[in-house]
Amino acid sequence: MNLFRVENDRYIFQLAPRERDLLVTVLRLYPVIPSAHQPLSKSAVPDKSSQKLLDDALAEQRNENRKWVDDLLSNPRRFQEKDDSVHMSLSAGEIEWLLQVLNDVHVGNWILLGSPEERLRLPTTRQEAAHIWAMELASLFQMELLQALKQSS
Amino acid sequence: MPEVMPDLEQDQKSKPKSEKEPGYLVICWNDPVNLMDYVTHVFQTVFGWHKPKAEFHMKQVHNLGKSVLVRESLEKAEHYVHQLQKYSLHATMERDE
Repeated sequence: MNLFRVENDRYIFQLAPRERDLLVTVLRLYPVIPSAHQPLSKSAVPDKSSQKLLDDALAEQRNENRKWVDDLLSNPRRFQEKDDSVHMSLSAGEIEWLLQVLNDVHVGNWILLGSPEERLRLPTTRQEAAHIWAMELASLFQMELLQALKQSS
Repeated sequence: MPEVMPDLEQDQKSKPKSEKEPGYLVICWNDPVNLMDYVTHVFQTVFGWHKPKAEFHMKQVHNLGKSVLVRESLEKAEHYVHQLQKYSLHATMERDE
């Protein structure tokens, strides 16, 4: 996947058909991070309802991201076949959403692996392999998006 | 490249503690999973920082295990923690004693 061009504030990415399929597969995994996973504070929370507010806000965000992913995957205008490649069109705001979604898959699969502190070892089970595959793929697409933003700024 | 110091430190130097309002520190903690470029990007997006400042804090997180990003009122600190957690960063707010 690479940035093909920027026109009318939209970023047009060029993907090989196989890359598009992999991106779709990764996006279908969303969300992965368990809800209410993160504390608002490591020490005393100033107001107990604050944690609930945070959890509710994150849950709402997750629902919105989910709807956006569904739209991305179901709207045929999002992925347009061009010769041997596929063009994906995103606004700057949508790139932020996509980064959040991909990082959820990235971090979520790391959590499912037991949040290892050290470098990932070779998987010993099919399940571990699936988590590592999803992590690596999500981070690869993240890097491509970040590179595109860097290129265009 | 000039060294970039966080605004927070300048604020702490310029004001005696007794003059400061009670506040909350927004802290980002290190984890071995988030990409360094991603963390820098999130800091730029959430706080509107220039890249050198965002990179300064990202490196603090990476090298020291955490970075105090801003000192804010309760409401603003909650807002920033929410924004950072939306991006799946490990962020919390702690009372500034």
